Amino acid sequence: MKLAAALLVLAALPLLGLPAYYLYLFSMAYLFATLATAWNLLAYGGLVSFGQAAFFGLGAYGAALASLHGASPWLAITLGAALAAAGGAAVGLAAGRLNGAALALATLATAELLRGVALNWTALTGGGSGLVGIPPVPSLPAIPLELGGGRVGAYHLSLATLGAALTLSAAVVRSRAGLALAALREGETRGTLLGLRPLPWKVLAFSLSGVATGLAGAVYAHMLGAVEPDVVFGRLFSIAPLVMATLGGRSLPGPAAAAVTFYLVSELVFHPLAPALHQLPYALALIAVALVLPASRRMP
Amino acid sequence: MTLLEARGISVAYGGLVALGGVDFAIEERQVIALLGPNGSGKTTLFDVLSGLRRPAAGDVWLRGECVTGLPPWQLARRGVGRTFQIPEPFGALTVRDNVLVGVTFQARQPRTRAARLREVERLLTIVGLTGRAGAAAATLSLGERKRLELALSLSGRPALLLLDELASGLSPKGREEVVRFYARLRADGLTIVAVEHSFAVLAEVADRVLVLDRGTLVADGPPAAVLDSPTLRTAYLGEEE
Repeated sequence: MKLAAALLVLAALPLLGLPAYYLYLFSMAYLFATLATAWNLLAYGGLVSFGQAAFFGLGAYGAALASLHGASPWLAITLGAALAAAGGAAVGLAAGRLNGAALALATLATAELLRGVALNWTALTGGGSGLVGIPPVPSLPAIPLELGGGRVGAYHLSLATLGAALTLSAAVVRSRAGLALAALREGETRGTLLGLRPLPWKVLAFSLSGVATGLAGAVYAHMLGAVEPDVVFGRLFSIAPLVMATLGGRSLPGPAAAAVTFYLVSELVFHPLAPALHQLPYALALIAVALVLPASRRMP
Repeated sequence: MTLLEARGISVAYGGLVALGGVDFAIEERQVIALLGPNGSGKTTLFDVLSGLRRPAAGDVWLRGECVTGLPPWQLARRGVGRTFQIPEPFGALTVRDNVLVGVTFQARQPRTRAARLREVERLLTIVGLTGRAGAAAATLSLGERKRLELALSLSGRPALLLLDELASGLSPKGREEVVRFYARLRADGLTIVAVEHSFAVLAEVADRVLVLDRGTLVADGPPAAVLDSPTLRTAYLGEEE
């Protein structure tokens, strides 16, 4: 209930007449919060991903291609998220054989591999220059378009994406899947000796994390109107969720709250003060996470 | 009826032969004591029987079905339960959730969550841990961990229970409890293979004793005969006959 109330308050924010740039920043913060929540869902099962950009990029490219081939933005976003879910399932199948650092490296390699494909399959993806002309998301009819300079639709959609990711995570943690994932995290061998088959739960975890991350990527594509391989399959979308989620702790809203705070502080405080160094907080946080990670028992 | 049959089980770690062609068969409702010095292959044999290790040669048959190479979760669902000498429960989960894992993912378990939780309570009562149901498993004492480990191994309603040094590290009172426990499990119709170093515990509960030495089965018979035999002393103390 608290979560629903918080989301409703945030949904009303555009009515204050915030400039378009701020609406854009908040939208991006919600998308990063979605990524951190999706990353945390994997971590709940002891699965560490260094390659969430794979799912983000699949969602972004899937939606962009569908839109450019005539699908409505809603259908395109759905197709993008579905493509990312399929990608997640494929990585989950590999996770049946890999654990810990080997799995983390495999996810990183998956994102890099897909970036390479997007860069080189020019006929489909537009190559290094990417795809442009992706139509924006329409605003809610009740809120006039000019209020947020055309950013209101994307604002609400990114907030809804975050709400969906948080609801999904909460449902998983309370279900049989949550029990299975917690057991796999705490002791996979002991779990298998109790009849727990790891593979389907790992596939499920990666599919769900993939669908939430891909949804964010699809919304991102429509929000910016363009996708590029080096951006949507880039390392930022792999590293940032890991850093943000780890800073946010293991609770359900923690990673999302940390992501919003971290992104807005980085963009609103560091960027104006030291434009050249505005990514420094990510680097420092990554170092802190690397030092803290073994102790926080996130690695199986 | 024969529950379990091991035929020529061999396992090697690099050049070291851990098990060199072990053969035995176990009838239902027997309590078998597995003896042998450190490094004789007892835990390796348990690893093979529970599916954690695939033997280099030989086969395991369970109720007439060849189960060699099946993964642990499939053996668990076929009724093989196991404890570890050093219990490692799901540390961050509560005692109740630990047992709930076993009660949820094994074969033939209650369908509703309420019924599963009742089964968890039943198991916690058997091992005497109901008072600690809400505690995180990582906070348990060694004795409590052994009880939880036992509840976990029973959670799949196993037909065959592999128990690794249940009585070791326990007080004399704890050992008496273990003896009563073995008797209860056998009365419930379970077949048990137990690694125990306490001869006192063994003499009271075992129907049959198997002795492993350097990966080979060197003795097999009723406790009275095996525990007094020179073979056992040779295995444990390295005495020449």
